[in-house]
Amino acid sequence: MRYQSHDVDEFAHVRIASYWPRRVSAVGTRVQPSVLSTPSPPPLFSMFRNTYDSDNTVFSPQGRLHQVEYALEAVKQGSAAVGLRSKTHAVLLALKRSTGELASYQQKMIRIDDHVGIAIAGLTSDARVLSNFMRQQAMSSRMTFNRPVPVNRLVSTIADKAQVNTQEYGRRPYGVGFLVIGQDHTGPHLYEFSPSGTSFEYYAISIGARSQSAKTYLEKHYESFADSNLEDLIRHGLHALRETLQQDKELTINNTSIGIIGPKGPHEKVVSEEGSFRILEGEPIDVYLKTMEAKAAPEAAAPPPAVGDEDVQMAE
Amino acid sequence: MDHFPTNWGRPNYNTFDAHATYPLHVHPQPSSSADGVQHTQQPIVTGTSVLALKYKDGIMLAADNLASYGSLARFKGVQRLQAVGDYTIIGASGDMADFQYLQYILDNLIISEEINPQDGHKLGPSEVHEYLSQLLYARRSRMNPLWNSVLVGGFRDGQRFLAYVDLLGTTYKASTLATGYGAYIAQPLLRKAVEGKEDTLTEDEARKIMEDCLRVLFYRDARSINQYQIATISAAGASISGSLKLETSWGFAEGIRGYGGQTQ
Amino acid sequence: MTSIGTGYDLSASTYSPDGRIFQVEYANKAVENSGTAIGLRVKDGIVLAVEKLVHSKLLVPGANRRISTVDRHVGLTTAGLLADGRHITGQARKEAQVFRQWHRTPATLKIIADRLGAYIQMYTLYSSVRPFGVSTIVGGVDKTGPGLYVVEPSGVYYGYHGAAIGKGRQLAKNELEKLNLTELSTREAVFEAARIIYLVHDDAKEKEFELEMSWIGDETNGLHVPVPKDLHDEAEQRAKDALENFE
Repeated sequence: MRYQSHDVDEFAHVRIASYWPRRVSAVGTRVQPSVLSTPSPPPLFSMFRNTYDSDNTVFSPQGRLHQVEYALEAVKQGSAAVGLRSKTHAVLLALKRSTGELASYQQKMIRIDDHVGIAIAGLTSDARVLSNFMRQQAMSSRMTFNRPVPVNRLVSTIADKAQVNTQEYGRRPYGVGFLVIGQDHTGPHLYEFSPSGTSFEYYAISIGARSQSAKTYLEKHYESFADSNLEDLIRHGLHALRETLQQDKELTINNTSIGIIGPKGPHEKVVSEEGSFRILEGEPIDVYLKTMEAKAAPEAAAPPPAVGDEDVQMAE
Repeated sequence: MDHFPTNWGRPNYNTFDAHATYPLHVHPQPSSSADGVQHTQQPIVTGTSVLALKYKDGIMLAADNLASYGSLARFKGVQRLQAVGDYTIIGASGDMADFQYLQYILDNLIISEEINPQDGHKLGPSEVHEYLSQLLYARRSRMNPLWNSVLVGGFRDGQRFLAYVDLLGTTYKASTLATGYGAYIAQPLLRKAVEGKEDTLTEDEARKIMEDCLRVLFYRDARSINQYQIATISAAGASISGSLKLETSWGFAEGIRGYGGQTQ
Repeated sequence: MTSIGTGYDLSASTYSPDGRIFQVEYANKAVENSGTAIGLRVKDGIVLAVEKLVHSKLLVPGANRRISTVDRHVGLTTAGLLADGRHITGQARKEAQVFRQWHRTPATLKIIADRLGAYIQMYTLYSSVRPFGVSTIVGGVDKTGPGLYVVEPSGVYYGYHGAAIGKGRQLAKNELEKLNLTELSTREAVFEAARIIYLVHDDAKEKEFELEMSWIGDETNGLHVPVPKDLHDEAEQRAKDALENFE
């Protein structure tokens, strides 16, 4: 059985954590630094905006959780990922970074199960922990019910996991955001997961650095996505992803990943009958890059500031 | 045997610290698994055969209403067929207490998988069957089985589903299934009547086959009773009949010679 | 709040000199910034309704629900931090299930509210956790009839005939007080709930919103389910009409 909550001491973690001494001195340091007999080190917290932001167990007087909001900033440090869906397909597109000419490009997409895949932005190591958990959930569903896990429930499980990290001392919120695409008997889906512990279903969405520019593109065109074919959907995705590029950069077969769920497209060679999740990288995406149209008026649309212009609040 | 009469009728020193010597080195030990643990060795209150078959519109299941305590016909109004969600009906033979526990587990399962999320991802018969087989196999692997044989019948998305799972976690599928004594007595009759006709048998014909098999079982199975229920699961959904009475005739009994008290 | 910044407001395990726990008060602030949620307890059932603020037009309408089902006969909605709301929903489901495990009978609303209150209160005791940034409305019909409770971030809970939490709660409460709740049918309450949500939504300041409603009553066979689409649409239309006449 899943729940046995009254058979175990659910609050053991709370009580044990509250005995930790560090916390006491931390409060003392903040409150009355002069009381400390030892010369106090340069107060670390002075580099922060305020005293309510160094700990995820503290609400600000406005009822905000600054640590969670900073975690959302970590997502924006990652390169952008875009997701969109039609009635038949869901696709992910992501921009891969490379640390130098001799280095390979980063991994931005992870397969969870035949019917689910994700794109990530933020701390890759956090993404590996969470995606591993998602894989276990997916396998568990196949084991106990002989059924692919419903995509919405899979996303909810990691959202619930992330919520705990926003509430308990000694943890930090996850520093990674996901775009999750998947299909089940209710069709293809696209979800966004964020470190605040929320998940939302979207027609189209973007995360990561300069994702607001991609969002603006998507908002302008999303009404046509539902009836788009796979090629059009990918082209829209590439156009949106292009908006997140720095000036003088462009999408290439090296820095772009495409993830697809849904029936085989005309440019694809081998795809399972169910239209399982697949990641396209390198040569196979060239044909899609070539379908892109030149930007209308690059000068007219001024690129927005690199950071700090986006809604950084924990969704209420 | 304790040979000290003064100890007779008093708590054993091994279980009761009469002189409050704790924490001296000898103190009562609760019986622990070091002595060995005994799990279920046999079912206690039992239900007998469950029958099921495929027919044109779906699946039909049947079971009588008796729960026996050994050879005693202990409870005569027990329902052994149960709907699970919108697409599945299960029927259980074996230990009725374990079956009641299974019903509780499955009720919780429906709440957590269907009532709570309300997202349209409902459990079909194959999911319920897989879950049950995992549960029963896990229990037997812990040497603590739930002592049942369960038939899982269902209908979803135009597909009929009929499968078996038992206390060992054994599973199989067939177009006719029977548990317990019915596996010997009724299954051959069911196969003869159903196999090859799964797509043409009407509900009325299927019902007639079931009644015939139940009647034979009532004549032959000393743990059966002539009250039964029939359940159908089809595109129209699940339906379980009320308790029905078998028509039987015992006129032939007068002609039987050579048993019991008759003296010719 | 003159005590802000004095250091007595950094932990749930710290009282201020005048006996307040600021962290719990700050948690209430998170609730006050949220979209409004209301609950109506009427003759034969309850109705829950929320003003679901839509932060992007790219969101799939109707997905991302704010009202959830705890047990067959119990519905729940929260105002405040969304993720905390999901945590509370999960805990309420556990409580309902554990009660069923021990007693083999569904829990009453009072019991679920009581246990949720106890759970939430524990998060106001320790510096190692923060309080929940949500207020919770639980409603349902049990063997004692309809029940409606609100559990606050402090863990305190009260029963209500009509309850409102979130940004527009004051205006919503005023409207609820005008209703003769004990005489209304659940169907009538659906129309009132929709009207109130539309009334309290501040068009000028707020983003777009979606009306989300659920009910339990004679018409739903005692089950907590979303209000059916035709009734929902009718209630929404009437609410819009009422708003125009109001202005």
